[in-house]
Amino acid sequence: MSSNILRKAYNKRPSSIISRYQSISKLFLSSSNPQIQSTDFYSSIDKPQHHASKFEFLSKNASGVSLASNKRLNFSCGCSLNNTRLLFSTQAAVQPSTADGLTVDAIVANQWTILDESESDWKSHASAIAQSIRLIKKRLQWEKLKVRLEMLSFQLEKPDLWDDPVHAGKISREHGSLMGKMKLVNGLEQELIEHIDMIKLAREEEDHDLESESVKALLKMRQSVKEKELEALLAGEHDSCSCYIEVQAGAGGTESMDWAGMVMQMYKMWAERRGYGVTVVDEMRGEIAGIKRATIKVDGEYAYGYAKAEVGAHRLVRISPFDAAKRRHTSFAAVAVTPILGDGSHHVQINESDLRIERYRSGGAGGQHANVTDSAVRITHIPTGITAACQNERSQHQNKASAMAVLQSRLDQREMARQAQMNSQYTQSLTDNSWGNQIRSYVLHPYRMVKDLRTNFEVSDTDSVLEGEIDDFILSFLTDSMDKENE
Amino acid sequence: MNLSSLARLSSLSTVFASRTLNRSIAFKPISCSSSVSVPHAPTSLNPNLPLFLRPPTFTATLSDLQKWQNWAKNLASSIGSSFTDSDNGPDSEILHRELNWLIEDALQNPKPLLTRNDSDHDIVLQLRADLGDLYTLWKQRIEKRRPFQYIVGCEHWRDLVLSVEEGVLIPRPETELIIDLVDDTIKQNEELKEGLWVDLGTGSGAIAIGIGKILGDSGRVIAIDLSPIAVQVASFNVNRYNLQDKISVKQGSWFEPLIEFEGRVAGFVSNPPYIPSGHIKGLQAEVGRHEPILALDGGEDGMSDLLHLCKGAALMLKPGGFFAFETNGEDQCLFLVDHMETIHHDSFHNLKIIPDFAGIQRFVTGIRI
Repeated sequence: MSSNILRKAYNKRPSSIISRYQSISKLFLSSSNPQIQSTDFYSSIDKPQHHASKFEFLSKNASGVSLASNKRLNFSCGCSLNNTRLLFSTQAAVQPSTADGLTVDAIVANQWTILDESESDWKSHASAIAQSIRLIKKRLQWEKLKVRLEMLSFQLEKPDLWDDPVHAGKISREHGSLMGKMKLVNGLEQELIEHIDMIKLAREEEDHDLESESVKALLKMRQSVKEKELEALLAGEHDSCSCYIEVQAGAGGTESMDWAGMVMQMYKMWAERRGYGVTVVDEMRGEIAGIKRATIKVDGEYAYGYAKAEVGAHRLVRISPFDAAKRRHTSFAAVAVTPILGDGSHHVQINESDLRIERYRSGGAGGQHANVTDSAVRITHIPTGITAACQNERSQHQNKASAMAVLQSRLDQREMARQAQMNSQYTQSLTDNSWGNQIRSYVLHPYRMVKDLRTNFEVSDTDSVLEGEIDDFILSFLTDSMDKENE
Repeated sequence: MNLSSLARLSSLSTVFASRTLNRSIAFKPISCSSSVSVPHAPTSLNPNLPLFLRPPTFTATLSDLQKWQNWAKNLASSIGSSFTDSDNGPDSEILHRELNWLIEDALQNPKPLLTRNDSDHDIVLQLRADLGDLYTLWKQRIEKRRPFQYIVGCEHWRDLVLSVEEGVLIPRPETELIIDLVDDTIKQNEELKEGLWVDLGTGSGAIAIGIGKILGDSGRVIAIDLSPIAVQVASFNVNRYNLQDKISVKQGSWFEPLIEFEGRVAGFVSNPPYIPSGHIKGLQAEVGRHEPILALDGGEDGMSDLLHLCKGAALMLKPGGFFAFETNGEDQCLFLVDHMETIHHDSFHNLKIIPDFAGIQRFVTGIRI
């Protein structure tokens, strides 16, 4: 049974090496006696026509070995019926190591020089990858994650868990999500070790083709793991959600409304650049230019994770085109971002009776008297006073549904903030990100510079920033705050 | 209810009562109207296909389309608030939004026109209407005040997209609430959910389709209209939502197509013409110049059809049956309730006046005793 589970586990694991080597090298890893298999391994390369039978022999052989090794490593093996739990325990308990005992931590400790990617040096690649893995672990708050996962697994096994299905759903979702992260990192470590083993084997065997192929695979991994570093920045509970971005003009009339309009345009273009869907939900235009406020819905994976870095006040300094005296003006636009939680993960249950729904811009007799294409509604949640509006849908029903979704998301966020405040762990980042804090300054006169006041990251090409190239700002902030938080 | 509204109500009701009396003599009795009108099955003639459903058989380059778009934008901007000031018509902001919707409906891929990306100006886009027609349509929208819904041939109503054309009343956002009222009712009453519902003066079929979608498996709707164009359009819409087995659209006058169902109807809804004749002249241009008078003019006080419906509800509904009527506002609601409490006092109970989202008392509902 255990070998079956193990094999299943192997099949799930991603790897870029040719599959026949892959399964062998994995068996090889789990074996406590690598010598035997490496002989067979070579022979199967030499005589590919016998591959199938050799392989069968190997796996038979390996079953025995892995059974033994597995017993040694994991005591819960026989008694647990839960595959994932078994897997988790197995993977967490062992640090994968190469045939000669090299682990990811050891590679980091070795401090091999990291050369440019173009240098085809496996040690450099391996070192870079190991560093990345370490950074990912740090960003995921690895030790905390392991403890949390243990706790969730424990809760999941409670027989009365599903007496409260909402709570159970939350637990099992969080467990699934943490499990995914755990598997990702374990998979990366495993993959790195496999590549190194393969290279070493190829060298011993003086198989240059295999060696260069394996080094290439290692390089590929080095590049892909860099992306994973970024993804690890977005490991927050709701980071993968779509979101609403709301921009509101500060005091200062037309100039600040124009600025709010520019900020909103920047986000629309940013979202489109990233391939997110953008819909205007609510927009109140300024009389002369820009917007008083507007809300857009940004649809796509990690929209919230990125956009949340934009929360705060954005400051503009320029000579106002609306000032006949051509004076320099400073204006502000406030940005709020709320995640759109999936069905079933809402934090607040809205009572219909707590709502006041009003038609926007209603005037006159209405009904048959009026032909309108404008069917905007505003919904007020009476107990909290929180409102949401939508006017860009083509029917009142849809406007109402959209406004309800915005309201739900605002109420959810309010509740999450309340819960977070009780949980001291989050208070720090919460105060940093509050709506009123000035986070970025855009100076168009007398010089041109966009500067993030949190990270000191700055860009002098203001046009490109206002056209939506804000990824560098977002990433520098996320990296900064994440790495600070984990220190 | 405060004193002044009571006073108003009583004065209104006396006025209306006398008018009703006059009219009930002058008005054609129900049985009579059936002999006058010649009901016939909907013709096979297809109504105009809404723009968004037409095949994209036309093409234009992005730059030509942008020229049209800029022209249309400027035309919309030039309106400012002049329509609003003259007859509560749309302002430029609303017109700009309509322009975007026209683009959405007319183009297979509207993205290059709706986003500010610098796309290749020579790319060719697929259109559902000739570019020349788009100029004509937008001109009609602005200069002739032709309703936007007739321009694109459809109205988004609740979660439906209904075909509309000249001769058929464009369903109003307020009317969407009737479906919510019906929904609340049938959620509490399984018998009504599986029963027979009637939508009188169905127009585009909006209410009938909205109800048809929420009824149970054996629930049925009969949608009736006097206008042959409305019957065609409603049938088209019913078919488009694949509800032809649930909803039957009939042409006829008042309750005449329903004689066989007397006392057996579970629910009775209507958005009848309720605008007082004297107001027709001063209506918003989109309404007064383009929509069918038949669907708007409710007689001298706007009540003639509503009062007729009261009688119909008493006659057609089974005990426990539900009705919901849309009205012109508070005065009509109060009058209607008063009328039912006095004239049909043994027919209805649980009479309610329900406001729309603008806070105008819009609907009267009740239960047949």
